[in-house]
Amino acid sequence: MSSNLVDQRPTPAAPRPWSFPSFERREIAGGRVIACHLPGKPLAVVSLVLPAGATSEPAGKEGVALLLARALSEGTTTRDAYAFAVAGERLGASWRADTDWDSFRCGFEAPADQLLAATELLAEAVRQPALEEETLDRVRDERLDELALDLSQPGPRASMAFANAVFTADSRYSRLDGGDIDSLSALTADDVRAFHAERIGPGVATLILVGDLDGTDVDAAGRLVFEGWDNDVKPAGPATITTTGGSRRVVLVDRPGSVQSMVYAGHDAPSRSTPDYVPMTTMSLALGGMFNSRLNLKLREEKGYTYGAFGGFDCRRDGGVFVARAAVQTAVTGAAVAELMNELDTMHEGGLTADELERARSYRAGIFPINFAGPGAVASGLGDVVIHGHPDDHFDRLRASIQATTLDEVNETTVTRLRPDEAVIVVVGDAAAVRDDFSGLPLEVVTDEE
Amino acid sequence: MPSLPHYPFSLHTLDNGLRVVVSEDHLAPVVAVNIWYDVGSRHETPGRTGFAHLFEHLMFQGSRNVGRTDHFGMISEAGGTLNGTTWCDRTNYYETIPANHLETALWLEADRMGGLLDALDQDNLDNQRDVVKNEKRQTRDNQPYGRWLELFHELGYPQGHPYQHSTIGSMEDLDAASLEDARNFYSTWYAPDNAVLSIVGDVETEAALAAVRKYFDGIPAKGSFPDAPPSSVPPLIGQEIRQVVPDRVPVPRVFVGYRIPPFGTPGFDAAEVLATILGGGRGSRIYKSLVLDRPLLQPPDGNVLSPWPFVGGAALLIADLPAREGVDPAELEAAYHELAQVGEVTEAEMERARALITSDWLHHLATVDGRADTFSQFTTLFDDPGLVNEMLPRVLAVTAKDVQDIAAEVIRPDNRVVLVFEPDSQVDAA
Repeated sequence: MSSNLVDQRPTPAAPRPWSFPSFERREIAGGRVIACHLPGKPLAVVSLVLPAGATSEPAGKEGVALLLARALSEGTTTRDAYAFAVAGERLGASWRADTDWDSFRCGFEAPADQLLAATELLAEAVRQPALEEETLDRVRDERLDELALDLSQPGPRASMAFANAVFTADSRYSRLDGGDIDSLSALTADDVRAFHAERIGPGVATLILVGDLDGTDVDAAGRLVFEGWDNDVKPAGPATITTTGGSRRVVLVDRPGSVQSMVYAGHDAPSRSTPDYVPMTTMSLALGGMFNSRLNLKLREEKGYTYGAFGGFDCRRDGGVFVARAAVQTAVTGAAVAELMNELDTMHEGGLTADELERARSYRAGIFPINFAGPGAVASGLGDVVIHGHPDDHFDRLRASIQATTLDEVNETTVTRLRPDEAVIVVVGDAAAVRDDFSGLPLEVVTDEE
Repeated sequence: MPSLPHYPFSLHTLDNGLRVVVSEDHLAPVVAVNIWYDVGSRHETPGRTGFAHLFEHLMFQGSRNVGRTDHFGMISEAGGTLNGTTWCDRTNYYETIPANHLETALWLEADRMGGLLDALDQDNLDNQRDVVKNEKRQTRDNQPYGRWLELFHELGYPQGHPYQHSTIGSMEDLDAASLEDARNFYSTWYAPDNAVLSIVGDVETEAALAAVRKYFDGIPAKGSFPDAPPSSVPPLIGQEIRQVVPDRVPVPRVFVGYRIPPFGTPGFDAAEVLATILGGGRGSRIYKSLVLDRPLLQPPDGNVLSPWPFVGGAALLIADLPAREGVDPAELEAAYHELAQVGEVTEAEMERARALITSDWLHHLATVDGRADTFSQFTTLFDDPGLVNEMLPRVLAVTAKDVQDIAAEVIRPDNRVVLVFEPDSQVDAA
């Protein structure tokens, strides 16, 4: 029996309007507090955000910010690591502390009626961490083991090789944001304590509370964190970032026996504050940020070379990168790299079509309410507002400017922002099998020690 | 303990057997559409492992009125996200979209439920076979420790058992899959009376149902489906099964798996609490002893122990134990086995476990897509969408004695599979 199907695609009704959840700023006990009330959500988030990410680390101390983030939950002056963990978990609160290039963020997701109790624990961890030598040594060694494991995987290994090749050795971006084996190995307990003293303080911190706040005394939460917290920590200045320059070249990292080659191809890019951020990133969505992007349609849906091909900008406070990437079957490495670079060349030369622009724009504008569906995502967005100094209506403006981007704007920036002739092409794979695949391009082979 | 939310819902069955769950949530102008088909890798026949998953890929290659890349294209343009996944007990497909595009998602799902064969061809099959083989390479074969999952299927169940092979299947079987196989698979399993459709979000129930009827009513019921392959197994493995795997890995890693009662039984609920007491969170016994007190174990990202929720015959409870650099895996394993003999469970431990399980569950149900998937899951597996609200209270009712009992029952040397990955630089980074 065959199906009787509706053959016409439905026409959508008018969308219900959406805007980023409204929030208020307060100054409490001298500290900055942002409160965002999302009624009806059983779980809430409390987060402290500071401009103390990887680029704020002293030279030679790469990875110290991440170690501090991990050390905060390893015991305070009043309870040890186990007691701290149990205190949070008995509230049903889960602790998160992490760093990225520009920020240091820590806090809890907790049942809405336990948010104040979770905030008290957060204040204790941030203001009175024990930072004992034995603990800090263990945290560093755990991170070293974790990094060794990461680097045994093709993606993270490619990411590191890409950073090494694109930026000069004295630029923070030339190393992984969580530090590398050399820098981490040299870190001491005193380094972690010094970073805590120099980078973590009320003058640079913002407390963010998101969720159903009906039962939460926001002022009391602010006092728990800021009252009596006294130091004169100032934000770090901008990092100096320089690139190695040069023209298209291949860096082949030998990973003997690999059944796939991990390809990362790209170059440096402007910082988050670049005025053409919206047109530039709209172009990269159509190039490699959606399922039906040029890269994925070519390498996956047409050629079957890969499970997925992607590309996009990572714009940080002091600079950024553009990367196109795909894990491709070893036997087709040369052909896949050629196709991938051809897509970048074609985009650089011809830009987007009007159709592609419309698809990328409507995806990107439409996705806001889904991306900001819960307290965690909203808190993370508010953290970005704080770190990048965006205006309070940033996300609504961003959405409007996406909808208003024109083809001319996009294609004007594409010529300068996508620079395939200067691309570093990192390939992590079986060098013996693929080293002859990159016809004519300068090739450097990297062999890791066992 | 926070007051638990109660999610409203209604269940409807169309004339063709399609079960539809609608749950309104007007907090944001979005809606999740989620379909579970009651077919997974356990329904595969010998020589065709990996087929259910390969077939899932073909469901995105167009259908009667939908062009080859249009399924992804239309949902993306609507500002939505989508995907599909396959596991032993099911295949699911889902979209999360601005609520005004509900009908687009329903139309796309109906078109491939009723009209896939009009678009299925050899080119699509060959292309997606290559994609899936690359998925296997990327997620398993080219990763350190990448074989652990398939080894648990192989060793945890007897020869020929429907869970004895993993969902991704083997390269040989993927190569052997034919267009004829795909057509037969679709005709056998893909029908409204073998599916559950859940809609959660900013919709009015009656209007949503009217839209469902408009697009799905024209798809005929199939009427009958093959029996699921027999899955009953003895409750215990009956011996210790041990395998050492030399691999090009930086540190040793030990996995220990136990056979436990299937998902949906009180024994499984108790095993979930047991897993939290032993290895859930930084306040668990294993974290305290093996990470904080003796640095033998690399701190886990998630939980050390996870119950795999299989419904047929028996499920598995698996401990994942990566060693710290320089630690002898035998020492780590011995220390773990000692801790796994739980003995007495205190009320304080139970309270911590209940609070964590509650938050995890609320987190899982926090988004419309998480909730839609759970409605589909419980309706497909247990014919009971109400479990979305009742499952958590059931797990919270587990007592300390239940935990001690299940531990005594399943944490035994003659009921475990032990895998030991050992660094060996001579092995290819396969």
